[in-house]
Amino acid sequence: MFKRDQHTDNENVAVILDGETTNLPGNMSVAASLLSEGRIVAKISPASKKPCSPHCLMGVCYECLMEIDGVKQQACMVEIQEGMVINRRLGTMEED
Amino acid sequence: MSSYYDSAVIGAGPAGLAAASRMAELGLKVLVLDEQPRPGGQIYRNVENASPATLQLMGEDYRRGLDLIKRFNHSSAHYESNAMVWQTSSDGRICYSRNRKSREIKAGHIVVATGAMERPCPIPGWNLPGVMGAGAANNLAKEAGLTPSGRVVLAGSGPLLLLEASLLIEKGVEIAAILETTPKLPSPNTLVHLIPALRRTDFLAKGLKMVRTIKKSGILHHKAVTKLRAVGGDRLKRVEAVANGKTVAFEAELLLLHFGVIPSTHLFRLMGCTMEYNDRQRYWYPVCDSWGRTNHENVFATGDGSGVRGALAAEYKGELAALEIGHCCGIIPHYERDELASPIRAMLYSDNLPRPLVDEIYAPAAGAHFFEDETVLCRCENVTVGDVRKAVKEGVRNVNEVKIVTRCGMGPCQGRMCGPALAEIVAAEAKTEVEQVGLLTVRPPLKPIPLGEVAEMELELGSQEQADLFKNMRK
Repeated sequence: MFKRDQHTDNENVAVILDGETTNLPGNMSVAASLLSEGRIVAKISPASKKPCSPHCLMGVCYECLMEIDGVKQQACMVEIQEGMVINRRLGTMEED
Repeated sequence: MSSYYDSAVIGAGPAGLAAASRMAELGLKVLVLDEQPRPGGQIYRNVENASPATLQLMGEDYRRGLDLIKRFNHSSAHYESNAMVWQTSSDGRICYSRNRKSREIKAGHIVVATGAMERPCPIPGWNLPGVMGAGAANNLAKEAGLTPSGRVVLAGSGPLLLLEASLLIEKGVEIAAILETTPKLPSPNTLVHLIPALRRTDFLAKGLKMVRTIKKSGILHHKAVTKLRAVGGDRLKRVEAVANGKTVAFEAELLLLHFGVIPSTHLFRLMGCTMEYNDRQRYWYPVCDSWGRTNHENVFATGDGSGVRGALAAEYKGELAALEIGHCCGIIPHYERDELASPIRAMLYSDNLPRPLVDEIYAPAAGAHFFEDETVLCRCENVTVGDVRKAVKEGVRNVNEVKIVTRCGMGPCQGRMCGPALAEIVAAEAKTEVEQVGLLTVRPPLKPIPLGEVAEMELELGSQEQADLFKNMRK
């Protein structure tokens, strides 16, 4: 859904995403980093049980709420860091 | 770190940066609490680290942020990034969370510069993955150098929708269609506003360039579109609408929505600021005097949060609030305040000349939106438009009562995403005006924080007083 512009050279960081070591571009928010890799689903809505993706990317909508280092946080408001533990709890849902 | 400041500024966009710089230059002890990792707000997001290509694409209106941040960095104002304010009161107390720790500070003055947000508009399917705000795409470009890679549809109304379209065209993004809900012909009222706007040919030229870029691209561009709808299962597949009396459909990976910009008012409402409703633009804003002072002597509203007028006006409004606070702190006499304010007021006036024209062209109309019973209105609690209508039919007439009955607005976003449309729906259903159905009550914490953080807080400031847990429940 998104691609990185050629002039960007954000070095990758290694994080543990949903239990697996994953390399993601650094120097941006967790939400942007996941979107840049085509991982558009941020959470399963606890109310509707349907997948949600980030909507506003400025801290308003809470659609990108996920567990980051043990605390539920808005992924668009947290910078991605080496070694972060990120859990989206997507359950059995398969990502494109 | 100190816990008392002459002035605390919340937000570091154009208004917050200008206000903080000016107050610090006057010699005040200033703290800036910014939710973002770097100063700039949304308009100047990440401008300090922007690549030459991004600076080039976003142009002079983005580059201006560099000067503003440079001035701010040179000032003595203390900057706290990633600082999420979760409680404020009109006596100057502020609680905020940063790096998993919460602390309380006290300030002689509070300058609220929390800016604006896109008007959330629940069209069918707006909660599907693949549907985003146009502002979100703009933020991703600035922050992370991301560009949409599949087929994109842009839909809604407002100058920022067309601006985003023209930026994406210049980047070579595949746009399936631009679907504007704006009427084909502007209302006759527009003519009245055209004359002052003509005095700002620079502004009009910018607008025309944008429209020309879109026209030249040959991209399908419908106006007066109705019944906008996002369709898909687990993610967006198709965008549908009615244009010229016919249903049109476009396969798309990404739908960017934009329905204008409204002030972010949670902080004002939390502090009990008197709010007024702008009937033409259909949003609430805090009542303030020409310096930005709200009904609370020491609480100021600046920038788009006090009424949407754009980045430059925000900067000027920030300066004016700073001068008044400088005067109140006894640093400058009133005649010096007025003398310094005079050129700023002139710039504010000139900047505003074309605004009524733009506002009139893109003014949202009551009932213009297609609210379908099945559409999810409150994403957090999965409450549909139909649930709300049902509550109103049963006799509920106020948004807060609807909230209690349906849970609409009770989730983590605290009604930020559903509040405006909730009021529209309740008013339409109850056959009354939006102003009559109330505003959702805002309570601390403004944003969810772990309870442990509150328990661990040092409460030096409040230690003289007994805890008053029911303070907010009294009127």
